[in-house]
Amino acid sequence: MNAAIEFARPLVSIRHLRLEALTARGTAHILRGIDLDIGKGRIVGVVGESGSGKSSLAACLLRLLPANVSRLDGEILFDGVDLVPLREPAMNAYRGARIAMIFQDPMTALNPLFTVGTHLRDVLRRRHPGMASDEARRRSIAALSSVGIADAALRLDSYPHQLSGGMRQRVMISMALAVEPDLLLADEPTTALDATVEAQIVSLLENLRRTFSGSIVFISHHLGLVAQLCDDLCVMYAGTIVESGPVDDVLGGPRHPYTRALLACELDDEAAGGRLVSIPGEVPDPVDARDACVFAPRCPHVREACLAGMPALRDAGPGRRAACVRWEEIEFERSKPAPR
Amino acid sequence: MTLAATALPALVEFAGVSVIFDGRVRALDDVTLAVGKGEIVGLVGESGSGKSTLCRVLVGLTPPSSGTVKVGGRTVTEQLAQAPLAFRRRAQLLLQDAVASLSPRMTIGRTLEEPITIHALPRANARLELDGILTRLGLSTDVLAKFPHQISGGQARRVGVARALLMKPEIIVADEPTAGLDVSVQGELLNLLLDLQRDFGLTYLLVSHNLNVIRRVTERTAVMYLGQIVEDARTSELFAKPAHPYSAALLSTNPVVDPKKRAHPIVLQGEIPSAVNPPSGCRFHTRCPVAQPKCTSDPPLLLPLDGGRRVRCHFPFSLAPRGQ
Amino acid sequence: MTALRTAWTILRRVCATLTGATGFGIVLVVLVAALFAPWVATADPDKLDVMNRFSAPSLAHWLGTDHLGRDLYSRLVHGATIALAVALSAIAVALSVGTLLGVAAAYLPPRLERFVLIVFDVIASFPSMVLALAIVAVFGPSTTIVIIIAGITLMPHFGRVARGQVLALKSAPFLEAERILGASFGRIVGYHILPNIIGPLVILASMDIPVVITIEAGLSFLGLGVRPPLASWGTLIQDGYQFLSESWVPVVVASSALAVATLGFTLFGEALRDAVDPRIRQEH
Repeated sequence: MNAAIEFARPLVSIRHLRLEALTARGTAHILRGIDLDIGKGRIVGVVGESGSGKSSLAACLLRLLPANVSRLDGEILFDGVDLVPLREPAMNAYRGARIAMIFQDPMTALNPLFTVGTHLRDVLRRRHPGMASDEARRRSIAALSSVGIADAALRLDSYPHQLSGGMRQRVMISMALAVEPDLLLADEPTTALDATVEAQIVSLLENLRRTFSGSIVFISHHLGLVAQLCDDLCVMYAGTIVESGPVDDVLGGPRHPYTRALLACELDDEAAGGRLVSIPGEVPDPVDARDACVFAPRCPHVREACLAGMPALRDAGPGRRAACVRWEEIEFERSKPAPR
Repeated sequence: MTLAATALPALVEFAGVSVIFDGRVRALDDVTLAVGKGEIVGLVGESGSGKSTLCRVLVGLTPPSSGTVKVGGRTVTEQLAQAPLAFRRRAQLLLQDAVASLSPRMTIGRTLEEPITIHALPRANARLELDGILTRLGLSTDVLAKFPHQISGGQARRVGVARALLMKPEIIVADEPTAGLDVSVQGELLNLLLDLQRDFGLTYLLVSHNLNVIRRVTERTAVMYLGQIVEDARTSELFAKPAHPYSAALLSTNPVVDPKKRAHPIVLQGEIPSAVNPPSGCRFHTRCPVAQPKCTSDPPLLLPLDGGRRVRCHFPFSLAPRGQ
Repeated sequence: MTALRTAWTILRRVCATLTGATGFGIVLVVLVAALFAPWVATADPDKLDVMNRFSAPSLAHWLGTDHLGRDLYSRLVHGATIALAVALSAIAVALSVGTLLGVAAAYLPPRLERFVLIVFDVIASFPSMVLALAIVAVFGPSTTIVIIIAGITLMPHFGRVARGQVLALKSAPFLEAERILGASFGRIVGYHILPNIIGPLVILASMDIPVVITIEAGLSFLGLGVRPPLASWGTLIQDGYQFLSESWVPVVVASSALAVATLGFTLFGEALRDAVDPRIRQEH
């Protein structure tokens, strides 16, 4: 199951993706050469902290980029077609048809002037132009029920402000699913929700695997959540992917120092007492275009080789990749018994 | 009303505190809680639980509609009336949005002068102390010339702590101290807070939705739901074996990274009810997986259990901590 | 000094657009004329020379003379002084009284607040000319009256904006933080609220300058404003209008000055408003 990525052609194949934007302080390097494969039917978790570029990656897939973007290079092969050179009308044909997205804040993602029913009807009509009203209504009710909304028929006439946060998120998910997309992007869909409501949505997303056949990209800063939901994991730092692979393998035995440090920082089950771990230093400034390993300034294993150029994402095990020139050495050092 | 789990003399005492907004919204309902001197108490709950209101009542921002809050034996209302500045120096609140808690058009230096000016602290002395505090918090002096929007979230939080420390408070209430901070820097801030607590003998009330923070940092935790305290226990005991079904469900929602330790969370039905019209009987009964008929009609009281724990439930321990 | 640097940045932004630069240019010219009138003018604006009435533009009289032989150009220049003096005084009155009432309204109990708002509404819905006529009828025409009338007319606008700004700010975390520190109400209003609301109010003030200039010109045209020998542009237009059959020059010249000045201040005010947008915060 965990080597599926290599053998089937991936749905999305991203190569050398670069994204730059103009800011008052100079050119910000938001994505510095991303290589990523998203397998068909897989749930890929993208994890990163602030400045990692994870949300920008999703924005690139949909090409919903802010006005100050100055450069978008590379290749995004979606089912064989490169999305990067597409003109706007061609790209728009993908949005809401083959690629759908769920956003973090359900309050601002829904138009306050339209009812839930109108939202769903619009989505369905975009996907199946000319759909009859009663057909659209029937399908809308089914869509809402499938995400666990009781009294779906009544809910169709509700406005977004009349619904709770959890309910709105479910509506957004049902809208995204109604698109019947090949690729579903979820950008921190549970971050704005209360814990118990988040648990409901997470449960919903887990059950989704049985009915939804497309691929999902789940973006989050929460490692635990990604560990629970996703098949594959992709760890981002400062606009680059530092590690990728099957989720349990990566989290069980990280190859990149950043992944390892991040895991150590997760305040897990330990009881109180003992110093809490953090990573010293700061995330590099996106305007800084240095050609070296982005994590080098904060890495406990840094050597001169790390400063010679950006490390490539290379093989780190079956279906795994890590962007660290020294990962084998570090593994070896760690496996040696501690000196007496 | 027995006070839970604390052998230390109580510095803060909430006695039957209720807060009603606009005559309709019961943000807090009959809350009774004690915090001992030098204790670190955690407060968990979701939206509408009243945890933020509780913090504001403690520092005197929101007056209680009924009941009393005592700090050091005297009520907050009394202290605010008779010696407001002295009380302000005793209890400080670190707001959730650290950057927004700093005046946007004032430099950090000017903002840090505020407590000195307001409380007429001796200037030369205060300057020295400020330098010491800044060093202690890992802030360099060039932050003093910057504006709030020019510094990072972590720095803003530390500036907030510095501002509070200048007044040598006894109590610090921290509302979501790690909110907005990356995982990789949370540890540093929490270590700092723990060190300060130890060195200055501070008493903390820590609100966090991050259960891992609560677990690692606090000694005792109070779980709140819809304006009431539903459980109050030693943190380690609470996490090991929660008594209230809501505590059990809430604690189980915390996803764990280690695949070996992962278990199925308890998923509750329904949404959090509104505070304007809380459910009858036990407020949690509408979502409780193990509710009995008694729970619908009979509101449970916050009663002591063994080991200094208090629970507001007719049938405590009836929900296993990590589902099936 | 960051304040000066900010001012310079704003100015650069204003002049970056054609309309902004034009507006600023005109404002500069009017300012110079108004502030340095005795030096910018070429002659005494009140010097009569009836023999030379309605003379054509010449080296001695750049724009010719009016019906009493007075130098039109110099009268125009001194008119600028009046226009600006009245405008700035009236706005100062409106700004201070309006802000005071607006801030108070934001903090008063609901009944009193409603009363203040009603006062604003009454003043705002009153036709200013009728109000002017009424006041002048009681107190007689004078520059001070013009200033008071313009001030009263504009006050509700500032009051409402000030109140809106304070309301938006009232629940801001940093104000709560100051309360927690123990800051008194006065300190919070003086040090924390006022500096944060002054921005939009200043923009409003700059956009109201042309409004006051026009009010003043209108009142003076009707003879309800400044009294002779002071000559505002409105008076000049009135004078020229009376003798329109003998010469079209005074009316055209004075009206043009009024129109251009009003346009200039409007363009400048709008460019200023755009330049001070939240964008400026990104630049820090």
